[in-house]
Amino acid sequence: MGRKKTPAADIALLLEGTYPYVRGGVSGWVHELISGLPEYTFSLVFLGATRDSVGAMRYELPDNVVSLSSHYLMEPWNLKPGRSRQGDAHCFADVNELHESFRQPDAGFDEKVLGRVLGCLGKNGQLGPKDFLFSESSWRSICDGYTRFAAGASFIDYFWTVRNMHSALFRLADIAHEVAPARAFHSVSTGYAGFLGALFHNLTGRPLIVTEHGIYTKERKIDIQAAYIQDSRGILADPSETGMEYHHHLWIQFFEGIGRIIYAAADPVIALYEKNRQRQILDGAEASRTQVIPNGIELEGLVHVRAQRADNIPPVLGLIGRIVPIKDIKTFIRAMRAVCARLPKAEGWLIGPEDEDPEYARECRDLVSSLGLDENVKFLGFQDITTVLPKLGLLVLTSISEAFPLVLLEAFATGLPAVTTDVGACREIIEGSGDEDRALGAAGAVVPIASPEATAQAALELLMDAPRWRAAQRAGLQRVERYYTQAGVLAHYREIYQRAINH
Amino acid sequence: MAGIGFELRKLLNRGTFVSVLQAYGAASIISSGPWIVSILGIFAIGVMTSTTGEDWSSTFVGEFQVSVTYLMSFSLILTGPLQFLLARFVSDRHYEKRDDLILPNLFGAISLVTLVSGSLAAVLLSCCFSASWLYRVLMLAGFVLLSNIWIVVVLLSAAKAWKLILTAFVAGYAITVSVAMALRTYGPEGLLFGFVAGNGLLLFALLALVARTYPSPRMLAFGFLRRAHVFPSLAFTGLFYNFAIWADKFIFWFNPMTGQTVLPPLRSSPIYDLPIFLAYLSIVPGMTVFLVRIETDFSVHCERFYRSIRRGATLDQIQNAKTEMVASVRQGIYDIFKVQGMTVLTLIAFGPQLLAWVGIPPLYRLLLNVDLVAVGVQMLLLAILNVLFYLDQRRIALLLTGFFAVSNIGFTALTQLLGPAAYGYGFAVSVALTAIVGLVLLSRKLERLEYETFMLQRS
Repeated sequence: MGRKKTPAADIALLLEGTYPYVRGGVSGWVHELISGLPEYTFSLVFLGATRDSVGAMRYELPDNVVSLSSHYLMEPWNLKPGRSRQGDAHCFADVNELHESFRQPDAGFDEKVLGRVLGCLGKNGQLGPKDFLFSESSWRSICDGYTRFAAGASFIDYFWTVRNMHSALFRLADIAHEVAPARAFHSVSTGYAGFLGALFHNLTGRPLIVTEHGIYTKERKIDIQAAYIQDSRGILADPSETGMEYHHHLWIQFFEGIGRIIYAAADPVIALYEKNRQRQILDGAEASRTQVIPNGIELEGLVHVRAQRADNIPPVLGLIGRIVPIKDIKTFIRAMRAVCARLPKAEGWLIGPEDEDPEYARECRDLVSSLGLDENVKFLGFQDITTVLPKLGLLVLTSISEAFPLVLLEAFATGLPAVTTDVGACREIIEGSGDEDRALGAAGAVVPIASPEATAQAALELLMDAPRWRAAQRAGLQRVERYYTQAGVLAHYREIYQRAINH
Repeated sequence: MAGIGFELRKLLNRGTFVSVLQAYGAASIISSGPWIVSILGIFAIGVMTSTTGEDWSSTFVGEFQVSVTYLMSFSLILTGPLQFLLARFVSDRHYEKRDDLILPNLFGAISLVTLVSGSLAAVLLSCCFSASWLYRVLMLAGFVLLSNIWIVVVLLSAAKAWKLILTAFVAGYAITVSVAMALRTYGPEGLLFGFVAGNGLLLFALLALVARTYPSPRMLAFGFLRRAHVFPSLAFTGLFYNFAIWADKFIFWFNPMTGQTVLPPLRSSPIYDLPIFLAYLSIVPGMTVFLVRIETDFSVHCERFYRSIRRGATLDQIQNAKTEMVASVRQGIYDIFKVQGMTVLTLIAFGPQLLAWVGIPPLYRLLLNVDLVAVGVQMLLLAILNVLFYLDQRRIALLLTGFFAVSNIGFTALTQLLGPAAYGYGFAVSVALTAIVGLVLLSRKLERLEYETFMLQRS
C-alpha cells in the first residue's frame, strides 16, 4: 500500500460507522467540530463493517481535512491455514493474564502486560492474525476460556463468537501500522475506533482523546445481533440452533474489556453530560482524566425566532421527534387528556415524521380518537423548528431513552421551557449541573418515564402559572447562553487539542 | 444410506452368538468376495485346462494367467487416480444430497476411461506384441472392461452396496469359467474370450446396479473433472497405492534372474507369483474385521464426532465423541491384527499339509510364509488409509502411499541383490514399515484432531 506524502495532520479523528459516510447526530457533531476549528488540520480514519455496507459520502469535507482513509473490519481474511503452528507462548500468556484482569472489574490491570500485548498485536509470529486463527496456543486459550466460563454453551458458537469479535483487532493493528501518524488522536467513541486510538497511542506515544456520545455497548447491541446471525453461517455451524443470549453477553464483555484498555490509554475522557461521566468512572476510567463537554448550538440563528413569540403563553404542548415507540408518544397523548380536562383549549402538537414505524403511528392516531382528542391533538409531520417553536407554550419530551437532545437547547434559545422525562442528559439540561448552573433555576420540569399524570401535572403547573413559566424561560435562556453554545464547545476542544499537540 | 453397514449393525446389535456369526459371515463374503471370486475363477481355468494334471503350478504361469495378471495390474494402476477421485466425488455429492449427479458423471468417467485405456492398449498391443490379432483384440477388450469395472466398483463401494457387487462378480466369473471351458480347445484366445464375455456381463450388471441406486434424468456429465472437484493429492495417492502393490512383482518379472518371458513381451516369475497370489486368499478374515470395525463401527463414530460439532455440542461432548471414535479405530486395528494374526499363524503352522493337499511343491513354503505376513500387514495399512480418508487427511495418505511405493521398489531391489533367501522380504518390510509410519502419523493426527478441525480452516 503506497503511503502518500501528506504532512502529518494535527488531529487524527477515529470514526466508527459515522462521519462522513453516515448521516446522524454524531456525524453532524464531527462536521461542526472540524469546520469550527479551521486552525487545525484533520486526518480522518473511517472504520466500517464491510465495503458493501458503506455508501456514498454524505458530507462535503471541510478544507482543513488533509486525508481520509477507510477501513473495513468485517471483510473475510481469505487466509490459508497451511501447517499447524505453535504460537508464541509468551504472547498468549500475556493475553491470558490481560483477560484474567478483565474478569475482575474492580482490580486494576498491569499496564506493562497491556503494553506488551498491544506491541505484539498484528505481528505474525507473535500475535498476528495467523497466530490467532491457526495456532495451538490460541486454541488452548479458547478451550480454557470455554471450559472455565461457558462450559454448557454450544462450543462451535462460542468458538466463532470469540473468533469473529477478536478478528477486527488484528485489522486495527494493521491500520495502526499503515496510517500516517498525527500529532494527536481523537476517537469519537470507545469500541473498535477507541481501540485503534489506544494502539496509536501505544505505537507513537502521542495523546489519545476520547469523546463518548452514548454508551458503546448499548448502541452496538443491534450490530452485535446482526453480526451474530452472520457468524452462525460459519463453515461448521448449524444455523438452526442458535441460542444467542450467552454470545451476546460475550460481546458485551468484550467491549467492556476493550473499553478498559481505551480508558487506560486516553486522556482526557470526555462525556456529554455528568451521568455519563459517572458511568465512565464505573467502567474503569480514572476520575481525574474524565470531564464533561456538553453539546452546543448556534445561538445567532435563533435570536430572531425568540422575537416572533407572542406575549401570552400559548396553551400548546409540542413534542418534537419521530413518531416511534422509543419517544413514547402514547404517554404524551394520555397526558394531553389530563391537560385538556383542566384546560379544554389546550392543544398537543406531534411534530415529526411518521414513516419510520407506520404501525405505531396508526396506533397513536387510534388512541387520540378513542380518547376523544381529535380536536386537541394534531399530527403535523416534519416542520421547520424555527417556525414552529415560537407557536408553542411548552416543549414536552416523553422519551423512554435519550442521550443529549439538542432540541431542548433550541427550545431554550427561543424562550421555550420544557417538560422532559428523566433520561440521558435531560435532568442536567433542565435543572443544571454543578452549583453555579443549578443556581440559575429550573428551565421547566423533569418527570418519571411512562407517567401521563405526572407529565400533565408538571405541564399544567407551568402553563397556568405565568410567573413560574417566565422564570423557567429566563433560566433556560441563561443556561443555554452560558453553557451550551457551539462557541463554548469549540473553545473547550481548542484548548484540549492545543494541549495534546504540545504534549 | 441403507448399505450393508446398517444391516450388519442390526445383526450385531441382536447380540446372540448366532447373529454375531451371521454378521461376520456376511461381512467376510461381501468384503473379500469379489477379490476371491476373481482369483479363484482364474485359478479354476488354470486347473481345468492343465495338461500335466499333477503340478498345476506350471499352469499358473501359463499364457492365459499371465495375460490376465497383466490386464489386472495395468488397469488397476491406470485407473488408480480416477478411482480415488471418483470415490471422493461421489461421497461429496451424496453429502450435498445431489445423488442425481452421480450417474451422469459415472458415464462421463467411463467414456474417459474407455478412451484412455482403449488408446493406450491399442498402441501397446500393436507395437509391442507379436501374438495373433484375435488375441490382441481380446486383450484390448479385456483391458477396457477391467478398467471400467474398477471405476464402477469404487462407486458401488462408496454406496456400500457390497452384496450386489458380490452377486455380480459371482455371475460374471461363472460366465467366464464356463465360456472358457467351452472354448478351451482354441487355446489362450478361447480362454480370453471367456474372460471378456464374463467381464462384459459383469460390467453391464454393475452399471445396471448403479443406475438403479442413483437414478438420474441426465445421461452424461464431466463435473468430476472440474478443478474444484479434483484433489491432486488423492489422484497421486490412488496411483501410488496401486503402483506400490505391483512394484515388487514387476521387478521380479523383469529381472532375468527371477523372471521369464511367457508371451513376448509379457513376463512372469515362476518362483514369486504363485505364493503371493495364494497369500491373497488368506485375507478373508482380515477383510471381514475391516468391514465390521472400520466401515461400520468407526464410520458411525466418525460421523457422530463431526455431527456433534455441527449441532452445537459442548466441548465435553465433542471430546467424548472423539474419545469413542479413537477407541473404535484402536479396536478396529487391534481386531484386524488379532484375527489376521491368528489366521497367518494357523496357515504357517499347517502350511506344509495344505500345500501338499492342493499339490504345490513345498519349496514355495518359506516365500509363502513371508507373503502371508506381508499380506496380513497390508490389511492393517488398508484400515489406516481408510481412517485417514474418513478424516480427510489427504496429505498423510499421499505421504504414506508414496513411501509404500518407493520403499517397495527399494527393498525389493535390495532382496534381489541378497539372493533367493531374501525374496519376499522386500515387500513385507516395505508394507510393515509403511503401516508403522501410518500408525504413528494417525495417532499424532488423532491427538490433535479437535485443534486441527477447528483451527486449521480457511478464514
